[in-house]
Amino acid sequence: MSSASPENDSADDSVTARVRIDAAPEVVFPYLIDPSLMVRWIGEWAELDPVPGGVFALNIESAVARGTFLVVEAPHRVVFNWGSPGSETMPPGSTTVEITLTADGDATLLELVHRGLPVEEVKPHIHGWTTFLGQLRDLTWARL
Amino acid sequence: MSASAAASDEATDAVLRALADPQRRRILRLVGSNELAAGQIASHFEVTQQAVSHHLQVLQKAGLLQERRDGTRRLYAFDPEALSPVRAVLAEFWPTALDRLKQVVEHDQRKRPKI
Repeated sequence: MSSASPENDSADDSVTARVRIDAAPEVVFPYLIDPSLMVRWIGEWAELDPVPGGVFALNIESAVARGTFLVVEAPHRVVFNWGSPGSETMPPGSTTVEITLTADGDATLLELVHRGLPVEEVKPHIHGWTTFLGQLRDLTWARL
Repeated sequence: MSASAAASDEATDAVLRALADPQRRRILRLVGSNELAAGQIASHFEVTQQAVSHHLQVLQKAGLLQERRDGTRRLYAFDPEALSPVRAVLAEFWPTALDRLKQVVEHDQRKRPKI
């Protein structure tokens, strides 16, 4: 059972997830921008240059995410785009992930919104998106 | 888990299993914009017609292909509606990742010396 709550909004084709972490935003934030801390919760290799325009690169088993940092406001907000090399529907940088950290007493409420998922526009460009989903399937199933 | 949630999980799994094969993704690209007969699809592949038929069957069961009879021919077209449930993969992906983030941060936090 997951304690992070997913939400789907079919209207704007985004995915939102939230989690409460028993640590201050200042403690949580480095895990979003420091490669050695990031790979402890997502992926196994990361190259991150956390400044606007800086590289965001993450390998998650067979899936690869490539993009750019857009907003880095320690310790409350980070926005990066990502996509998959070789994908026509989700090329590097084509979808956007926004993470906001809000202090709640001694804890942090983290909200993640992944926007621009090309589920509805998949038909003319089925290749890249289905490849990416195939990759995601492998890693999601491997971990659940 | 409710019966409908279990059914939806099965449907999503069928779609993702169908998509996990490169030849089946190639078939979907072929019929992505044009309805094609089984023979026309098979002509794009080196493998046996039987193997192609199997792939067509898997794609059809997953709802990714709609079959239409035209006389003796069976025509196949891609049905993008079938992809909608796969959003669930991403809807599961992030909460799973964020739960790991929570565990890692809270684990490290407990090891920090109290100031």
